[in-house]
Amino acid sequence: MSDAPLTLTINGKPRTFARVPDAERLLDTLRWRAGLKGTKEGCRTGGCGACTVLVNGEPTLSCLVLSREVAEEKIRSIEGLATEKVGRLVIKAFAEAGAVQCGYCTPGFVVALTAQLGRGTSLPSVDALLDGLEGNLCRCTGYRAIQKAVEAAREAVR
Amino acid sequence: MSFQLVQPSTPEEAVGLLSRSAAGEMAVLGGGTDLLFDLDRSRIAPKKLLSLRKLPWRYFRWEANSLVIGSTLPLSALELDPHLRSRLPGLWEAIRDVGSPALRSRATIGGNLGRCSPVSDLIPILLVLDARVRIVGPTGVREHPVDMVLQESRRTSLGPAELIESVILPASAPSTYVWQRVQPVNDISQVGVAVAFLPEGPHWRIALGGLQPRARRLSEAEAVLRSARPTHFEIELAAQEAARRAEFVSDKRATESYRRRLVTVLVRRAIQTTLERAPLASRPRKAPR
Repeated sequence: MSDAPLTLTINGKPRTFARVPDAERLLDTLRWRAGLKGTKEGCRTGGCGACTVLVNGEPTLSCLVLSREVAEEKIRSIEGLATEKVGRLVIKAFAEAGAVQCGYCTPGFVVALTAQLGRGTSLPSVDALLDGLEGNLCRCTGYRAIQKAVEAAREAVR
Repeated sequence: MSFQLVQPSTPEEAVGLLSRSAAGEMAVLGGGTDLLFDLDRSRIAPKKLLSLRKLPWRYFRWEANSLVIGSTLPLSALELDPHLRSRLPGLWEAIRDVGSPALRSRATIGGNLGRCSPVSDLIPILLVLDARVRIVGPTGVREHPVDMVLQESRRTSLGPAELIESVILPASAPSTYVWQRVQPVNDISQVGVAVAFLPEGPHWRIALGGLQPRARRLSEAEAVLRSARPTHFEIELAAQEAARRAEFVSDKRATESYRRRLVTVLVRRAIQTTLERAPLASRPRKAPR
């Protein structure tokens, strides 16, 4: 089984990769095999949120997931969300609020926020949305601008 | 780091695979939030990883008198349950305090027990709630109190081919979980304090995390709280007794003496919060002296 090919459903499309070691993480498969470099490697220990992607709609730390374990699940990365309505609104809100400085943490924030706003259930409060982002660290903006982006994104999808 | 991943889909198959592997050859993978970290640091180097993800254990259900949680259920699934917060507030708090939302979509209760971290945020609350652990293995199913399953960091009393199937808890109990950390999120607690008030046995249960070799109940402190409505003096005594008796870890997160000071404050706070959560109607009469 080791080094066998692996097929993942990424952003709605099946992608097959040759010779994927069993130990490979989803983060590395996305970045280095699928070429989707929007997903960032931060701490690689589950502590920063930069590598957040959606697995069956749930925000997931791709640095802590073995690619082979999610072979039957639906993976969505920032590149996929950028082509969808809610994702686009969130990205626009981040840009307009000046919530992006170096930009390294931004995909993780966008993915985690889009997941919450795109659930289709009742619209969460701003506080609930911010709680949902508590695992995402930003070392540039100081979070004020990110909070503004969250408020604006919530209004936009309302 | 290289290993072969095996993903059995039935418990029998999983137990069979474990039975046939040599000691240390196969490691068990739950959510992976802790194990993968150990693999990265080369703390362990198993030849095979047994993933529990395809086993039918990702469930939870409320029964008449209990809550049954499948060992591989992601913690985020519990967090979203509309009843958990009101019925078992301490468990809800402990779950919400594990890592971050994106970590809880992977982390599991079985993994938390199996890894038996001395600084686990879930173990203290499971201890005070008298959680029972259902274990499957080559000889069938057995059920034990959580205290008998835990040993020390990364060690439990499970046999080499045994797996945690589920955890069984009371359906409701006034309870509280509080902690202290350097950072509120994505950090590991310096100490965690769980308190519950149960209708049977010693009513008041107090357990601490951040101890060596692992979290444990502090029966010495529990014994101070003899009535359902302890006085301020008794609460203070219990807090001091907990701090005095516990064997704290001393590490990069806090010194042993700092943890000891923290605990007096946190135990007091957890007892008071639990008292506020005990509904008047179900409050038992004052226990006889």
